[in-house]
Amino acid sequence: MALIPAMTITIVCFYGFIIWTFVISLTRSRLLPVYKFTGFEQYVRLFANERWWTAMQNLAIHGFLFIGGCVVFGYFLAILIDRGVKAEGMFRTLFMLPLSMSFIVTGVIWQWVMNPGLGLQEAVRALGWTGFEFNWIVRPERSIYTLAIAGIWQQVGLCMALFLAGLRNIDPNIWKASRVDGIPVWRVYLHIITPMMRTVFFTVFILMSAIVMKAFDLVVALTGGGPGFSSDLPARFVVDHILNRQELGLGAAGAFVLLCTVIAVISPYIYFELKKERGGRGH
Amino acid sequence: MMKFSKIAASVAFLSVGVSAGALHAQTAEVLHWWTSGSEQAALGEIRKAFEAKGGTWVDTPIAGGGNARAAAVNRMLGGDAAAVFQFSIGQQLRELADQGLLANVGDVATAENWDEKLPPLIVKAAKYDGNYIAAPINIHGENWMFYNTSVLEEAGIEVPKTWDDFIAAAEKLKAAGVTPIGLGGQPWQERIMFNSVLLGVAGREFYAELYSTLDDDLLKSDTMRKVFETFAALKPFVDEASPGRNWNEATNMVAKGEAAFQFMGDWAKGEIIAAGIEPGTTVGCAFAPAIDTAYIMTVDAFAFSAMDGEDATPAQTLMAQVMLEPDVQIAFNKKKGSIPARLDVPADSFDVCAQTAIKTLQDKKTHLVSTGLFGVPSAVSGAIDDTISNFWNSADMSPEEGQAQFQQAISYAK
Repeated sequence: MALIPAMTITIVCFYGFIIWTFVISLTRSRLLPVYKFTGFEQYVRLFANERWWTAMQNLAIHGFLFIGGCVVFGYFLAILIDRGVKAEGMFRTLFMLPLSMSFIVTGVIWQWVMNPGLGLQEAVRALGWTGFEFNWIVRPERSIYTLAIAGIWQQVGLCMALFLAGLRNIDPNIWKASRVDGIPVWRVYLHIITPMMRTVFFTVFILMSAIVMKAFDLVVALTGGGPGFSSDLPARFVVDHILNRQELGLGAAGAFVLLCTVIAVISPYIYFELKKERGGRGH
Repeated sequence: MMKFSKIAASVAFLSVGVSAGALHAQTAEVLHWWTSGSEQAALGEIRKAFEAKGGTWVDTPIAGGGNARAAAVNRMLGGDAAAVFQFSIGQQLRELADQGLLANVGDVATAENWDEKLPPLIVKAAKYDGNYIAAPINIHGENWMFYNTSVLEEAGIEVPKTWDDFIAAAEKLKAAGVTPIGLGGQPWQERIMFNSVLLGVAGREFYAELYSTLDDDLLKSDTMRKVFETFAALKPFVDEASPGRNWNEATNMVAKGEAAFQFMGDWAKGEIIAAGIEPGTTVGCAFAPAIDTAYIMTVDAFAFSAMDGEDATPAQTLMAQVMLEPDVQIAFNKKKGSIPARLDVPADSFDVCAQTAIKTLQDKKTHLVSTGLFGVPSAVSGAIDDTISNFWNSADMSPEEGQAQFQQAISYAK
């Protein structure tokens, strides 16, 4: 009974709007929703759109690099801190600091750093290395990587904190036992600790996936989708077409395809993880 | 319930008295996206005139054109429309009129004879079903070329009249170590330069026909290929840091002499004046190289929500009237950097660039429309920006491929 308000809100605001988006994507709505159905015309237009495919491809590249980078660097940093560095608090704060900024601020900071006329490239050249090149942000074939750099820089602290919490939860007896057995530290991490951390990895993966799928503000602030549309992402494509282009129908079609992609990518993983957990409990 | 509140409202209305009622009728909420210094100052001129005639102005600024347009439409659909709102004239505005959301200000327009005083292309875009649904208040030009006079002098070059001249001049400048073109690398800025090339290479008749018909044969023609070739030939004249740069930074490059030319709308004059330079002196203005004279117009306009029924309220009528008064037009446009939408306003108090524009526009053959929001459907305008920017920024795309992509994107969007 107590759940009815929450359920109503979820059903209307979540599933209701998914259905509404799908309905709109079947019309030729431009500025306003117009319920004149044209079948799957918007999807045909969407799939013929060069920019959409660039955006989808970028989502894959960015997703892979961003999630991979966050997991690898986050875990690595967590291990280093867990090994008992001096001034642990300072390092933790240092890595967590970028997290306190929005993606917009992150984007602006990195836009300056990576601008070939003002930032890192110019600074290094001024030091005497005149051949130094770091102009990825203005090179269409490289611009997508700059998103991953800025994204990882911001989120790696969060991943580190989660991993660190996981590492601190490991039973100290495991370490004592491994020391008695004379197993090298790296092997303990690789073969014993990491498998025990599976749920933390799962959490980090889901959190970072959500950030990737809705990535919008970072690309707006950092590259504006450019040069050209080389660093565009689907979420920006959708917002741009709904708000600026008055192409409600096409934007809705893009949003729906994006949703289907998310479900297709994430669901096998979730299914696998949940099933494993349930199975594990039985033994 | 409904009835009761109506009765209560009318009782309250009567008790306050007729004079308060009349005052209320002259109140207009104005929703706009003019938040920068010069824009605020320009809008302030309209406000002053409106208030001098007894109107009450309720200001609702929303940063960003896209946001403001979305807010205006959302509030309209939600039944809480702003009486007057800034909006681009053209297709989207007509879509609002289709749904009966707009009031027409045809009475003022007839009384003031807008049909005669505004450029015909703007009249066409501001009308729906033969009636005015918006007040177009200014004309910005997009095919301007701003240049640093001393840089040109030092390199010993004249202001180029054709694109071939320009390329020769740019070679010289590049050899002398100056960036020939200061370009802000955002899609709409690249489109402005492209449209200048299109006009310059293909001529104004081709331009007008291409964008009014969006015809496949024209898009596939050899003339169009020549345009893409010329545009591609400009790529080496832009510095590395161009992508993502804002237009005003590029204007500053020209003002400081770091770059020789900028192709930009006349709002760049505001930036030049802000740098302490009178337009026409250190920084000169000329039309972008072209085979004939033409002016690519872009227009700012205000539209009017249907408050109760079809007719414009007295406040809306007053606003429309004030906006196109000659004195207001002069004061507003001098601050905005544009020229009056009315072509019969005396030109002598404007700067040289604006005077050139006003004089040029006396010849109706020079009138062309911009493809940013006004002139073509916004989906087409977006597709143009996308493909031009993509072509400009890819090192290995041939003019043929660029042309093919351009044609395809437009045919899908229209």
